[in-house]
Amino acid sequence: MANFFPRSSNWIPIKLLICGIVAAGGLTAATWYYGTPKYTKVGYEPIQPVPFPHDIHVTQLGMDCRYCHSFVEMAAQSNVPNTQTCMNCHTQVQKDNPKLEPVRTSWKTGNPVEWVWIYRTVDYVYYNHAAHVNRGISCFSCHGQVNHMSTVYLAKPHSMAWCLDCHRHPENFLRPEDQVFNLDWKPDDVKPAEFVAMYGQPHDAGEDLSKKKKLTQEEIGQTLKEHWNINPPTNCQGCHR
Amino acid sequence: MKRVFHHPPEPATGKRYWRSLGELNDTPEFRQWLEREFAEGTAELNGSEWSRRDFVKLMGASMALAGVGLTSCRRPELHLVPFTKNVEWTIPGKFLYYATAMPRRNGAIPLLATTVDGRPIKLEGNPLHPASGGATDTFVQASILDLYDPSRSQRFVHNGKTIQRAEFDAYLKNLRDTVGGQQGEGLAFLVDETYSPTRERLRGELEKMFPSMRWCVYEPLLSEEKTLATQTAFGPGARLIPKFDRADIILALDSDFLDCGQGDLESVRGFTSRRRVKSPADNMNRLYVVENHFTLTGALADHRLRCPASQIPAFTYALAQKILGGTNDPGLTGILGASQNSGSAAAFDERWLSEAANDLLAKPGASLVLVGPGQPVAVQMLVYAINAALKNLGQTLIARQFPHNPRTIDMSQLASDVNNGRIKQLFILGGDPVYNAKRGLAQDRQTNLPIDWVDLQKKVPEVVRLGYHEDATSALSQWHIPLAHYLESWGDALTGGGDYLSIQPMILPLFGGLSEIELLNALLGGPKVEGPELIQETFRSTNPPGDFQTAWTRFLHDGFATHVQPRDQATTFSGNAGGVRDQNSWTLLSPPTADSPEIVLTSSYSMDDGRYANNGWLQELPDPITRLTWDNAALISPAYAKKLGVLTGDLLQITINENPAAGQPIKRELVIATLVSPGHADNSITVPLGYARKMPEFYGLPYAGGDLKRQPGITQQSGFNGYFLRTAANPYFAVKGGQGIDSVRVTKVGRTYPFSLMQEQFTIEGRGLVREATLEGYRANKDFAKKIPGEEELVEQPASIYTHPPLKAPQQWGMTIDLNVCTGCSACVIACQAENNVPVVGKLQVSHGRIMHWLRIDRYYASRKPIDQDGGNWPENPEMVHQPMPCQHCENAPCETVCPVNATVHSEDGLNVMAYNRCVGTRYCSNNCPFKVRRFNFFDYTQRPVGKRKVVGALNIYEEYFAPLTTKGAPDTMKMQKNPNVTVRMRGVMEKCTLCVQRIEEAKIAALARAGASANTLIPRDSFTTACAQACPNDAIVFGDIKDPESRVSKMKAQDRNYRLLDYLNIQTRNSYLARIRNPNPKMPDAKDIGIASAVEKIPE
Repeated sequence: MANFFPRSSNWIPIKLLICGIVAAGGLTAATWYYGTPKYTKVGYEPIQPVPFPHDIHVTQLGMDCRYCHSFVEMAAQSNVPNTQTCMNCHTQVQKDNPKLEPVRTSWKTGNPVEWVWIYRTVDYVYYNHAAHVNRGISCFSCHGQVNHMSTVYLAKPHSMAWCLDCHRHPENFLRPEDQVFNLDWKPDDVKPAEFVAMYGQPHDAGEDLSKKKKLTQEEIGQTLKEHWNINPPTNCQGCHR
Repeated sequence: MKRVFHHPPEPATGKRYWRSLGELNDTPEFRQWLEREFAEGTAELNGSEWSRRDFVKLMGASMALAGVGLTSCRRPELHLVPFTKNVEWTIPGKFLYYATAMPRRNGAIPLLATTVDGRPIKLEGNPLHPASGGATDTFVQASILDLYDPSRSQRFVHNGKTIQRAEFDAYLKNLRDTVGGQQGEGLAFLVDETYSPTRERLRGELEKMFPSMRWCVYEPLLSEEKTLATQTAFGPGARLIPKFDRADIILALDSDFLDCGQGDLESVRGFTSRRRVKSPADNMNRLYVVENHFTLTGALADHRLRCPASQIPAFTYALAQKILGGTNDPGLTGILGASQNSGSAAAFDERWLSEAANDLLAKPGASLVLVGPGQPVAVQMLVYAINAALKNLGQTLIARQFPHNPRTIDMSQLASDVNNGRIKQLFILGGDPVYNAKRGLAQDRQTNLPIDWVDLQKKVPEVVRLGYHEDATSALSQWHIPLAHYLESWGDALTGGGDYLSIQPMILPLFGGLSEIELLNALLGGPKVEGPELIQETFRSTNPPGDFQTAWTRFLHDGFATHVQPRDQATTFSGNAGGVRDQNSWTLLSPPTADSPEIVLTSSYSMDDGRYANNGWLQELPDPITRLTWDNAALISPAYAKKLGVLTGDLLQITINENPAAGQPIKRELVIATLVSPGHADNSITVPLGYARKMPEFYGLPYAGGDLKRQPGITQQSGFNGYFLRTAANPYFAVKGGQGIDSVRVTKVGRTYPFSLMQEQFTIEGRGLVREATLEGYRANKDFAKKIPGEEELVEQPASIYTHPPLKAPQQWGMTIDLNVCTGCSACVIACQAENNVPVVGKLQVSHGRIMHWLRIDRYYASRKPIDQDGGNWPENPEMVHQPMPCQHCENAPCETVCPVNATVHSEDGLNVMAYNRCVGTRYCSNNCPFKVRRFNFFDYTQRPVGKRKVVGALNIYEEYFAPLTTKGAPDTMKMQKNPNVTVRMRGVMEKCTLCVQRIEEAKIAALARAGASANTLIPRDSFTTACAQACPNDAIVFGDIKDPESRVSKMKAQDRNYRLLDYLNIQTRNSYLARIRNPNPKMPDAKDIGIASAVEKIPE
């Protein structure tokens, strides 16, 4: 009796198995990468009713974040400016710019401008801006270089793992309190002698930091963490209530 | 299989506290509630509900459909909507607090309202007001829900048709012209008691405009007898204020003065301030209570005597004679000599009476005798005379002058005017007289039959009703005007002590309602007001010191004005008040018998007089005494129940046969379900009022989710309407020999009624749960609470096999509850519900054991007879102890070790926390919780209606379950109440007391923001507290940092009376209790039975 299947077909189960493993591995890897907020959320850049250019307002004109986001140091939410805030200037500056039509309409009718929500945390997460910006965490750490964005996009993943990265190692992100709203700040800007005179240095620092030419972020962060008694919560209740 | 923990053997003296007669008899139903975390069937859809199989089929279909569309793959575009213009003081997401007040019939309660983004979400007491001390009660806490009641009146109605407000304004203008021409003859007002100075001022102006108008104040639960007696004895406008903080010995005769619901929080605080025993050297007051049914006052009593309400006069008379014997007071001689002691009085325990009298006599000027509002005028007078003889007047009982208008008429006067056709236009402001007016207010002249208000109101040609709901009274009115909630309107009011409070709106009227004063102003033809103009005018007339604007702002900010001081008056009792006795015959009634018992009508701890009938929180609040939810019941004693052959749930027919002197004999009947209540007087039946009020139907169930379609018509709420039995002649108790009463009959109907009774639910196993001692016992052994017999050998804690959580945070949270000052009033339960978005589940769900309250109050009876030696006779007069039971926050928490997904874990500051979004609903944690404080969302209670009303015969019963098939979504107004800082939990999630973690975190974040670039991140000592602790009128609950030895909670925990529950399990609870101390008089016959819930040593026989 002739063989219906050629000899090579003996390899089919093995090949299928290998293909299966590769496919499953690929799928897992793909989900791992593409299924996380890092891929799905970062870069979200919806069309806003008014294409508000942060770069012009902050970098060119030198406005402070807190001119518009006025309650960021007091409240959980960093408020979006109301129409009145816009019209403080735009009754005189660019008062006929067609792009500002929604703002002027809002001012006339009293109906608010509906900005598209980019940085949305889910309802069971209770994030608090005041607790962060008052304690040396810059806007930059979560929102990226907004001061150079012509339209705002989502710059960081805002996943729970990402939150915990900082809550477990805040020293990687802390900066002096007067640099929180300076989004261009770099650790290199710090003058070691002045810094150490003001904040001291970590208890286990191997050397005298003030003698160093430059300080690293870790050195600055660790100093501030100890000086300010920074102890971010890593238990559930810190964010989920 | 459930592993039953082997508790250490109980000592031979036995357990003396128990929760129900079922526990006493060890019935199978009780064993089931005890041994299972959830009762049989709690986790099943059974009976008339859906079967699990149906449910799975249905869910399978839903899942398949859900798969087709891949609907949730795209990110929904949501918007951030800022204000157009800045709103003063508003920071988005931050709480704003405003002072206001809740008007109540016994005086307003000063409040601080929490608002967020322009909507009020929570009410707290105003801590600035010295007399109230920031106290609230259940009704204050629950009133926020009434504001958002979706079935509130939302329209102006004329003859059943919706109209515009302009039409009503035109009617008022027309009325002003026509009635004004007749000097206001035919115009009458029927109003609630609010103590609003502005309303009084507008009334005065109305009386100038319409000199012949009538003004009637009616409150079903304000005692006309008490008012009449006080005014006769102490002059018009007088009101008596008891000063409990000065009283050593208190005797309460049928008086539930500790019922916070009556609004007299100052008295309650005064009373409990004398019971804070910190060390064996401290003294405490002593409370004697004589009452027919268990009340909150009776639960706290040191000596309690069961006595039918109709025998209180006889008891008072006997007491007066004893006091007279001890004092030879001439005033008392006069009033006793003039009274007729006819009829055969009940035989009282002679020793009880004389020893109680001796105790009172031993403390002249520091004792206090109180009598309940339901007793006749003559008894009220006699009690004043007793207090006068004991030299208490001016000491523990002071008189205060209140604004008084002698032209106010009472309800019977108004009824007679209506009956005579003298009233042409009637304004009913608030209330619901068709439901709650006393029956038989007037008599028909042709038939000689009594007429009720429902028929009287039909005789008035034009009735204008300002009502909160379109209820039964509105249905019989030509005009219905929506009433604004007190949180929506400007107003002012006086407290029970006479302080002048401001009421400011937190939100514009949600449905365009009017307040009383706005309506009166419109009738006066005053300019239309939208702001505080009317209140300002009243305030100006009080001559505030300094600049008016500053004074006014201060008045609003503080919530009260100090320049208007209440006026105390000389408290001299005029004993020769002969005229009063004629109005109320001083005949001692013979005691009720088993054949002809007495019917006692009393206020309900949940519904008040029925005004909260549509409040789901209050409907679901277990009664502090009976633990009954959603219903009222006829309360009877176990012995009497045996005699009648009824058990809890059996329906009884009560018939009162009336044969008045001038009139036809009639019968008044009510079918009502029985509830056997230990400690009740025999041959006496208590019916709480306020249930079965007809309310407009909006949802299948008030407040539990949303079938958004409005259903027309009026429906009846759960429970039984006791007002059917309440006549003008006998408003508080009906007994054979009462005015015009021939006999009272009670017969068994032979059917049963399903109750949702909580008394056996969540029963805890184990010993030493409630611990109490007498004051003497405490002095002899100050560590009695630490050592419970049988536990000594377990002092060495077994090692835990689990790692102890690292409790390394600088501040560690804990709580303690002082059982000695806890009255069981349940304000904490409602406060917790309001703060933590706890859903209402409905009557049927409660009966399945699915109630969601995070904090429950366990009520224990304590009796001398050991629980396992029941010989068929139930204990007659047990004691009662209330124990609030939140999560105990065990440091070695049994729940945490069994959670497969780490959804419940320990925080560094000692909380046992729940991460809802991790919970998969295995319910292992609640199986392992020794306190049964974990609650599971069996259904989406906040999103969908849970029950559909089904009517069985004449009874309203919530029966059918349709949740998965109903539309999702709660009404907008209900969402507005939710606390934005607490997650609204969905189906399939376990939840429990978090120790108000949102408040802890808010405080921590505030401390961080304050710290800024510094290291001082500690929260200031005792700067915030939990919702339950803040609501407690007696400061029984204290929360704080247990690591700080100077904090209030640490000081409480350092007291001798501090003990932890189930300590022998080595669970190391964070919450602890302070044991109860009773202060019996050793000379009393029942002294050896007092304070025995945890007997330290063998009790002397």
